[in-house]
Amino acid sequence: MSHDGHHSVVIPAPGPEFVPHTVAHHFDTPVQEFQSLKLGFWLFLATEILLFGGLFAAYFYYHDLYPETFREGGRLLSWKLGALNTSVLLASSWTMAMGVRSAQTSQKKKTLIFCGLTVLGAAAFMVVKFFEYKSKHDHGLVIFTELFSGYDEAAKQLPWFKDYDGAMANVPHGHMFFAIYLTMTAIHGIHVLIGAGLILWIMKGTAKGRFHAGYYLPVDLVGLYWHLVDLIWIFLFPLLYLVP
Amino acid sequence: MAAHTHNDGHAHGHADHHGHGELQMGHHHVSSTAMFTNVLMVLLVLTIVTVAVSRFDFGGANMLIAMGIASVKASFVILFFMHLKWDTAINKITFLCSFVFLSLLFIFTLADQATRRLDHDIHVVKTKVDKQWVHPSTLSGK
Amino acid sequence: MTTNVPVIDAHPTVPGLPKNYLNCSRGFMSWAGTLDHKRIGIMYLIGTLLTFLAGGVFALLVRLHLWEPHGMLFTNEKYNQIFTLHGAFMVFLFVIPAIPGALGNMVLPLMLGAKDVALPRLNLLSFYLWLSGAVLATLAIVLGGFDTGWTFYAPYSLYTNQAVVTIGLAIFLLGFSSIFTGLNFIVTTHKLRAAGLTWFRMPLFVWAIYATAILQVLATPVLGITVLLVAFERLYHIGIFDPRLGGDPVLFEHFFWFYSHPAVYIMVLPAFGIISETVSVHSRKPLFGYKLIAFSSLAIAIISFLVWGHHMFTSGQSTYAMFAFSFLTFFVAIPTAIKEFSWVATIWKGSIALNSPMLYTLAFLIIFAIGGLTGVILGALNVDLHLHDTYFVVAHFHYVMMGSIALAFFAGLHHWWPKMFGVIYDETLAKIACGIIFVGFNITFVPQFIMGSQGMPRRYATYVDEFHGYHQVSTIGAMILGSGVALMVYYLVASLLQRKPAMENQWGGVTLDWQTPTPPPLENFYAPPKVTHEVYDYSTLDLKTLQRPVS
Repeated sequence: MSHDGHHSVVIPAPGPEFVPHTVAHHFDTPVQEFQSLKLGFWLFLATEILLFGGLFAAYFYYHDLYPETFREGGRLLSWKLGALNTSVLLASSWTMAMGVRSAQTSQKKKTLIFCGLTVLGAAAFMVVKFFEYKSKHDHGLVIFTELFSGYDEAAKQLPWFKDYDGAMANVPHGHMFFAIYLTMTAIHGIHVLIGAGLILWIMKGTAKGRFHAGYYLPVDLVGLYWHLVDLIWIFLFPLLYLVP
Repeated sequence: MAAHTHNDGHAHGHADHHGHGELQMGHHHVSSTAMFTNVLMVLLVLTIVTVAVSRFDFGGANMLIAMGIASVKASFVILFFMHLKWDTAINKITFLCSFVFLSLLFIFTLADQATRRLDHDIHVVKTKVDKQWVHPSTLSGK
Repeated sequence: MTTNVPVIDAHPTVPGLPKNYLNCSRGFMSWAGTLDHKRIGIMYLIGTLLTFLAGGVFALLVRLHLWEPHGMLFTNEKYNQIFTLHGAFMVFLFVIPAIPGALGNMVLPLMLGAKDVALPRLNLLSFYLWLSGAVLATLAIVLGGFDTGWTFYAPYSLYTNQAVVTIGLAIFLLGFSSIFTGLNFIVTTHKLRAAGLTWFRMPLFVWAIYATAILQVLATPVLGITVLLVAFERLYHIGIFDPRLGGDPVLFEHFFWFYSHPAVYIMVLPAFGIISETVSVHSRKPLFGYKLIAFSSLAIAIISFLVWGHHMFTSGQSTYAMFAFSFLTFFVAIPTAIKEFSWVATIWKGSIALNSPMLYTLAFLIIFAIGGLTGVILGALNVDLHLHDTYFVVAHFHYVMMGSIALAFFAGLHHWWPKMFGVIYDETLAKIACGIIFVGFNITFVPQFIMGSQGMPRRYATYVDEFHGYHQVSTIGAMILGSGVALMVYYLVASLLQRKPAMENQWGGVTLDWQTPTPPPLENFYAPPKVTHEVYDYSTLDLKTLQRPVS
């Protein structure tokens, strides 16, 4: 309900398979709405950078303190799986960028296909991650079933870090690398899942014809989120799998 | 109302630029498929480079090299996939700020860590008792 | 700044009776699901005032306990929980969200001439995140309480057998509430300013909230990851803060203060913003040094990221880092002093009206001078080694948090109360309450400066006999302070029941928030305002409209 006698601005649909977009009542123009939401989202992405930044700071802090631990720990991760997952995420970033482009040019079918491929990329990433985690579990480096068993005060031992092969026997605090590995990749993995969920939501809206050249903002923003997930992984890969 | 500033920093005449987007959302830039594909190729090549350089030991420069390559890759993602190259100045500043302020966390925290070692060395030299340096936080782990 | 549209008229020529945001719709859902920034502001106001009262009760319990050297009321363990509750409630539930959440939400879009904040749904989400945080924090009390102090220092917070994970989660949610509020205000300030409202025509409250918002967005995520890591430590022992596992608790302090020092300015900058408004309006004089005050807010925001290590002078941090942090700390004093002097210069030769908001403002100016200067003392490395963790520190930050921020909040509350509700409180009682609060506050905390300089450590449930007198005076002061606050709550609530109408422009403000009807209509302005004058230009003030009561 508007007191000033102005009616809400409506962006027309470019074709019969699309629906028009009504600009929110408190904005005067579509440009204002677009720019406001986009700025808001970039600010949100900045908070994500700082949130992950804390983890990276912890990584560098302990990398500096226990260099051997990190070197040995890094050797126990499969750089091949890491490189594979890097490539998967980069490719999915490409499909996402193409999905946004298709929405910008009102190509509904192509948007759906590219977004679908991106979700597949996310799934592939998580499958590879699962096998990686399983291998760490089997070697006693991160025993997931014992994760919440608490610190064994008497034995002065961490139940989730047994290191069956003794691979970390000669370095101080071997669990430290794997604790940081687990925490960083798990928080990143949660972001992958959230991203995939958002892309599915975008696909639903695309199927209904909500996104087109006149209004593709949600596709654009979800795309930015997905690229951020990729961006963080670009740094995680060399730090964890190829410990410098 | 609307004190918004119009975009000034965007490239016109890019491969297939769609004018109607400009009219309706004030947004502007549609990149070409070829550009996206080229960026992907660059990123994949740089991934190979990342792995390749990790085979060599450059001593203290290892971390710098690895993070340098990662930063180049990240820049490609930010500028092209995330379209920041064609975005508004305020959005560019916003995202850049997050890295600037994050670097403050890194610089001060790591400087404390590095100079604490220095503290300890001075102490050791002065007392001439213990020649082997042990970081205080490693003691409790024994 | 005035507009060329006579929007001051509360009875515009629009069909139908003018309805304001309070009576335009009714029912629980019209509030619980509202997207209107003013209603969300009111909900924040109620919520933060309730937590302020709860935190105040905890404070009084602490003071009562300390009436006797061996403690009057609690076991030592219980005492630890009570002062932790006082700190955590006051900092995370009241001081950080109160001014941006309640007054910022209410006033910022009005000052910008906008219909709402840029992201109204996110605004409502912020409030519900705050509410969830408040509920979880209360739940944590039921689940056994927490005794870590509001700072949650590792390694104690990792080992204590209490509800640390619950309160950690609460703080994570409160953090995101704060982030989203800040994000919203940045976008609103950038994109929803009225026509003609250039950056240097914005009221200084907007500048202050904007600088605060930058801090909220850039610092709070680090608090989020820090409390998550503490929770992970407790759940699966990652070891990065745990010295048993090779971790370094000092890293926790770095992370915590990377947020919590800027957080001091998240708390105090909005207070500065309020004072800039009240000083100008109640002296009816343009602010002295407008641009300097605006830029000093940004300078404080940036410098605040460079000084966090001054909380860690006794933590085992490296000597070199301490030099740097101590040196950098002094720079904060410069922009802060610029503000204080500018406010005083604004009052000079002004047409001063000693209304209750102005009295609270004057109290702020005196108390903040002490709070700020003792901060400079504590920033000196060698002095702090003696004073660290003593009552001197407690007194210092209460002069800032309670004496300055809470009093500025009260000043703002009294200043905008007629705008918010269209009613005016009992001015006489307000002036009396302000006096009681000012006197009670100083009686409470001056003895704490003295005790602290003599070595009385903070957070102790018992103390040696030589401090007995000081503690008793402090407790008496706290009771006086508490009764002043109780009186304030009484007359504010009474004003809502008595409904004595306020004036359309109660104090004669000229910023856009005073150019809309009182209380404002749903979308704030009947016609989009257009700003043609400089900010704080009182020459065009129409004195006749000030005398007209709201209908």
